[in-house]
Amino acid sequence: MKTVKILGPGCANCRKLEAVAREAATGAGVEAAFVKVSDMKAIMAYDLLSTPGLVIDEKLVSSGRIPTQAEIRHWLVV
Amino acid sequence: MDTFLRLMTGGAGNLAAYLAAHVLLCLLPAFFIAGAMAALIPKSSITRWLGRNAPYRVSYPAAAAAGSLLAVCSCTIVPLFAGIYKKGAGLGPAITFLFFAPAGNILALAYTGSILGAEFAFARFALCLLFGIGIGLLMAVLFWRDDASHDAQTDALFAEQASIGPAATGVLLSLVAVLIAGTLKLWPLTATVFTMSLPLPWAEAWQATLSQWVPFDAAKGEEGVSVQGSLLILLLVLIGLAAWKGLENIVEGANHWTWVALGLAAATLLVAALGVTPRAGGLELALTGRALALGLAMAAVLHHARRLGAEAWQAWLWEAWRFVKQIFALLVVGVFVVGVVRQLIQPEWIQSLVGRNDLLANAVAVVFGVFMYFPTLVEVPVARMFLDLGMHRGPLLAYLMADPELSLQSILMVAAVIGRPKTFTYVGLVAVFSIVAGLVYGAWVDGVNPAWITLGLAAFVGSLVAVTSWLLGRRRAVPARA
Repeated sequence: MKTVKILGPGCANCRKLEAVAREAATGAGVEAAFVKVSDMKAIMAYDLLSTPGLVIDEKLVSSGRIPTQAEIRHWLVV
Repeated sequence: MDTFLRLMTGGAGNLAAYLAAHVLLCLLPAFFIAGAMAALIPKSSITRWLGRNAPYRVSYPAAAAAGSLLAVCSCTIVPLFAGIYKKGAGLGPAITFLFFAPAGNILALAYTGSILGAEFAFARFALCLLFGIGIGLLMAVLFWRDDASHDAQTDALFAEQASIGPAATGVLLSLVAVLIAGTLKLWPLTATVFTMSLPLPWAEAWQATLSQWVPFDAAKGEEGVSVQGSLLILLLVLIGLAAWKGLENIVEGANHWTWVALGLAAATLLVAALGVTPRAGGLELALTGRALALGLAMAAVLHHARRLGAEAWQAWLWEAWRFVKQIFALLVVGVFVVGVVRQLIQPEWIQSLVGRNDLLANAVAVVFGVFMYFPTLVEVPVARMFLDLGMHRGPLLAYLMADPELSLQSILMVAAVIGRPKTFTYVGLVAVFSIVAGLVYGAWVDGVNPAWITLGLAAFVGSLVAVTSWLLGRRRAVPARA
């Protein structure tokens, strides 16, 4: 069971990232709990300079862009 | 019923004028540039100058550059602001970044230039840059203790280095060439190379129908819908449809709708650059130097874009499309509403309140800017409305400086990151600086001797330095709580 956090104040890219990440999790057959983090203080606890940020099991794997499904599947499986 | 009809016509007329050729020639390339900046300029190429140990003369210009190049939307503005403040160069550069971002980004500059004139756009850019750095320095001096209390954490966030690749540079430069070729009002761009007549007998009747649908009064500076305008609106709708199918999932790869959307966008620019005049029994097409220059510049974009990696150009198109979705729809609605509201405002009200360039008029403009919130870029058509109704250009600049900086939304966001006392100080400083900017620019427009303006500005800067050094003196007097 993985915990996937989407960091972002609710902008278009954050919603897109969540959709892509959910599809990637389904595609990889990985069970994952999705958490949306929109509080700025909580977001800044991670080292990122632009949203959306993707955190898998408390590790920031990408920020400031929307990764492809293949990338996210790779991070989910590792 | 008559009033309702008049209001609707006002809105439609305003919208038609804003979808006219000269606006599209600026806005369409600007969206592509904004997308390219967001996707192709690595953030670390600028943020590496914003670390905790960066000297003042580096961090403030870098903060302004970040505001201009990186921050086209709130996705970047908020985290980067909080990052610079808490983990990087500190409060001053963070404030400079925050202040300069809404005025210095490419979309705001290009749009202000096409709606209010190039001189106005330049004044907005230069004064925001100057005063953004000024406000940042003042905040840093006022709240020096706050920065000192942030212990020297790891600088890892700002240590990463990257530079812009040659293909990305080529794309950005040739996109800027597209923007310049489309907007500059200079020979040979304005020259007509040759004209031809298309035998389209319905063109004249269609123009008459359009003028009937959207009546306009040329004496009031209103623009109706031309045959060319109706073709452009049709092309925009088609781009929207094709882009929805071709760009929504671009991150996963392109499909043939992607190429349709891009082809339509290029066609729109070319049509907008042509001279189209309905004549008796036909449509006269004029091939302009502008159309040729645009064709060349777009070929250059294509040439450089082919050298980009797939991930890079897909990210570029996604960002451009996202900006269109986020901003363009709101802009269309906003422009329509502005057209409706304009019918309800008497020019006398505006002229008596802000028709002159004095302290009161500038203050009124700033207060209006603080209490009104308009979505991104809608402040520009609002400003155009006030200008047409007789507002002086000085207070207009003051309003344009205060409005995007100080909406309630942005004040709340800033307060969440830096706390209330600092936020109130910031708001007060922005208000004062906006009023001064309006007075300075208004004096320039009124033709006041530049020597007097320089003297006034020098007096303002001088008093600022005096206050700052007094505060610095107090700072030395207080023993630092290390």
